[in-house]
Amino acid sequence: MEELFTSAVIVGIFWATLRIATPLLLAALGELVCESSGILNLSLEGTMTMGAFAGFYVANETGSILAGLVAAGLGGAFLSLIMALMTVTAKVNQVVAGLALNILGLGLAFFWYRSIYEAEGSIDIPTVDTMEAPWEFFPIPWLTILALVMVPVVWVFLYRTKYGLELRSVGHNPEACDMRGVGIISRQYVAVVFGGVMAGLAGSFLSLGSTGLFFPDIISGRGWIALAIVIFGNWRATWVLVGSLLFGFLEATQLALQASDVDLPYQLLLALPFVLTIVALVFNRSRSNVPLSLTIPYHRGER
Amino acid sequence: MTDQITDRAPSDPQPEDGGGRRDPLSMLFQPGAWRIEKRLVVRPWHEFITLIAALVAAVAIIAGLVLVIGKSPADSFAALYNGAFGTRESTLETLVQATPLILTGLAAAIAFRAGVWNIGGEGQFFAGVMGTWFVYDLWGGLPAPLLFVLMFIFAALAGAAWASVASGLLVRYGTNEILTTVMLNFVILYILSYLLAGPWQSPDTFYYQTQRMADNTYLPRFFSVSRLHWGFAIALLAALAVYWLIRRTTLGYEIRGIGSNMVASRYKGIRVGTVTLATMAISGALAGIAGFGELLGLHHRVQLDIAEGIGFTGIIIALVARLHPLGVIVAAILFGALVNGSTAMQYETGIPKALVFVIEGTTLALVLIAAMVSRYRIRKTG
Repeated sequence: MEELFTSAVIVGIFWATLRIATPLLLAALGELVCESSGILNLSLEGTMTMGAFAGFYVANETGSILAGLVAAGLGGAFLSLIMALMTVTAKVNQVVAGLALNILGLGLAFFWYRSIYEAEGSIDIPTVDTMEAPWEFFPIPWLTILALVMVPVVWVFLYRTKYGLELRSVGHNPEACDMRGVGIISRQYVAVVFGGVMAGLAGSFLSLGSTGLFFPDIISGRGWIALAIVIFGNWRATWVLVGSLLFGFLEATQLALQASDVDLPYQLLLALPFVLTIVALVFNRSRSNVPLSLTIPYHRGER
Repeated sequence: MTDQITDRAPSDPQPEDGGGRRDPLSMLFQPGAWRIEKRLVVRPWHEFITLIAALVAAVAIIAGLVLVIGKSPADSFAALYNGAFGTRESTLETLVQATPLILTGLAAAIAFRAGVWNIGGEGQFFAGVMGTWFVYDLWGGLPAPLLFVLMFIFAALAGAAWASVASGLLVRYGTNEILTTVMLNFVILYILSYLLAGPWQSPDTFYYQTQRMADNTYLPRFFSVSRLHWGFAIALLAALAVYWLIRRTTLGYEIRGIGSNMVASRYKGIRVGTVTLATMAISGALAGIAGFGELLGLHHRVQLDIAEGIGFTGIIIALVARLHPLGVIVAAILFGALVNGSTAMQYETGIPKALVFVIEGTTLALVLIAAMVSRYRIRKTG
């Protein structure tokens, strides 16, 4: 056990925590804004895969990471725009729409990837340069800083701006908003697409920020973890940060455990975030911050 | 937080931008313009026409995608069809693929009928696999018929138990079952991962898998030429049983009751909590039986990739079938055909198998939109 407490391992876990938390934090903050408007977007996994692929493809074609990031954001926006069209305009059940778009996002990314890079049996898998670290003492990609900066930005937006207040009101009581003339549709569109852009960026962190590769299961459940973090964080930006760091820490520790000889089941640490989320859901129920109209479509003139 | 919105005095200044009146989409709701309104009666032909339009649009989008990568849509659709139904063998293989999907589709359908959103079919499938292996591991020496019965019962019980974690929390604490079932999918995956890395791991391999099961635990097959096993018959029987349950029993009546109007059902004296628990237990058991069938019919050893999204696909199948148990059979065979045909398509035309996911996602999205659109009409108002 002692070997886990050397300073090298601890410093390693610290940076790994931030690195692993980055895509989770980006996606979870986007989902937080989206859910605040009353729309549950279950398609994070597919949206992140789209972002990872779009970012990788464009970065590979143009050689520019920035262009890749823009493409990743657009890829996420594309899928979430369909989500908004289905759930806000057509008022399709949000769970179902999310699952459908999950499959669509995964499918589009896999399909394009295979038809571009693996056509006719070639297995020449390209790699792109990964994002640089901004400073010498900060050895992880700069997108991490953006993710951390987004925490206060999202908090101020949701809790200190009029538009944020209206957006949260739409998520709680759309009928009252409608009566006061607060446009529900436009706010939900903005929130859903913002969530999609953030998920796209989160996905691109995995392809452009850490591996320089794209492969079909690159997201491997991180979209679902981001959803869990929003719930764990009780729909508050600060607690979403805490949740992302905690989940990142558990994963980083788990990796360190696997690399060491310590005989502890690492799967336990991997399962812990999901168990903790359920526990948080039960314990927060009396002071739950869940948007009251989450998953309930608003029909004007109906009760 | 709602207080901030509701307790403003009426004399408060109105937002000067006039709130939503600037939304481009809300123009549609203005009087004197074209107006979207709900139909009072939705006739079958309204639904039919929008459904056909959705399917045509889906085919057009997929064909466009195939054209973009420089292949012929006609050839690829033909290859897909031939791969799924071209020969007797391929048709039977389609049914093999459909077998677990029928069961997970039923699992989703019965829960959704009760208005309980069980997204945990994948995890309950794993629970069924684990229940089956648990019995085999413990009492593998028992005579085959008894062993089969025990494995079946434990698979169903394990699935039901795992689903009941979510429904128990829902009934006791009111925690959202969508969120808990999604989380529980991951929890059981890691439990299985732990077991496969340790206690259950086959001693002769480095992989995360169990030993191969003894031959006498294989589910018998119908024809020597195909892999179609008794699991298919079990799935069909399950569909009939669920149909009977929903249509002809008191529990089925109560399930439909709480699904369509929970408040009225409560006033009528239906014990909503009990019915919710029973529904989720049945739903989980069905998904668990799917795991039983896949393990004993096809895989014969427990691996982490045994589910391959079968639970999630079941949800989609249930919705495509409009939650009708017999419709689930048809939808599951269609999805099985897509999965099966895509392999042949990739082999013959070089189009990636992943096109199937695009087909599923596009079709489902458009069909869902169509179902909602058919309930509305556009009318000019004065």
